[in-house]
Amino acid sequence: MDIHVRIVELLKKEKIFCLATVLTSNISDVRPGQKAIVYDKGDIVGSLGSTKLDSDLAGLAQKAFKENKSQVAEIEAGVKFFLNILSPDAQLILCGAGHIAIPLARFAQPLKFRVVVIDDRPDFASPSRFPNCKIIAEDFTAALRDYHFSSNTYVVVITRGHEHDADCLIEILKKKTVYVGLIGSRRRVRFVLEMLAEKGYSRARIKDVFTPIGLPIGAESPEEIALSIVSELVCVRRKGSVQARALRNAVGIDL
Amino acid sequence: MNDLEIFKKLMELKEREITVCLATIIETAGSTPRGTGAKMIICMDGTIYGSIGGGCGESQARSAALRSTLITQKPQILEIDLTDDLGTKGGDVCGGKLWVFIEPL
Repeated sequence: MDIHVRIVELLKKEKIFCLATVLTSNISDVRPGQKAIVYDKGDIVGSLGSTKLDSDLAGLAQKAFKENKSQVAEIEAGVKFFLNILSPDAQLILCGAGHIAIPLARFAQPLKFRVVVIDDRPDFASPSRFPNCKIIAEDFTAALRDYHFSSNTYVVVITRGHEHDADCLIEILKKKTVYVGLIGSRRRVRFVLEMLAEKGYSRARIKDVFTPIGLPIGAESPEEIALSIVSELVCVRRKGSVQARALRNAVGIDL
Repeated sequence: MNDLEIFKKLMELKEREITVCLATIIETAGSTPRGTGAKMIICMDGTIYGSIGGGCGESQARSAALRSTLITQKPQILEIDLTDDLGTKGGDVCGGKLWVFIEPL
């Protein structure tokens, strides 16, 4: 099968993988432009014709996966590859379709987040309020349980009440996410987090939740709060969650 | 265009038997408009899809693509320098350098 067909298939299925392209080579069977796909588990499609080269390539791809960074790597003297980490577009799930969700959906789309809005109130989770978004007007628990999280999913929990927040997090924390943020006053947030601990979620997983949500820019209006949340999403995407946390710690936000 | 759109377009062009070249940014230094992994398809009639940052860099990539396809029939690595101080020579002013892999497909 043509490798490009495989690439399109993988991208459509929202898989993360490494597309390795030979840039330079002094090995006769390995020619510049030749391509191989390396999965995150290390399997290779399009062998280089030697187990040694394949395993060296898989090792270098692992490093690129870990750093989540496309890069040039030299597999042996004179043999260089471009290791292109291909991952799906970021997906942003908004749990809660209230007054902050509207500007948040609007700001996130031009920043290349595909937005999904979940709310159990059809009047709120409606296409007229959220143009170009995927709308799920269902009970939070059922909607989240059935929804496919890609390897590049961000979730923002901004429902109308802490019981709903808790219902959402119970489902979300079972899945793999890049980012989870929870809005709320300290009191409300503490209630939710303690409830999760009682449910048996590990402290480490609970600590992954960004709360209070958003970068500390002094936001007050719904639009300002949406901007602070979307800034945090961009920071996590570009610089990682460590930097996003460092920005909060810088002004003394710590729960 | 995202990667999926680029590869879909690539297959569509190949099905129509249009000769194409793919240009991919493989490395950057300093400030550049687009980062590593950005892709652009160059057709032999000069049509382009996607972007590796616009401006002079893209026109250099386009010439290199024509050379790769029509003359050498081999991939090449193109270095593009965007360090023209103030853009006075009609160059780009971003201040960085980028390396682009150009491959006939």
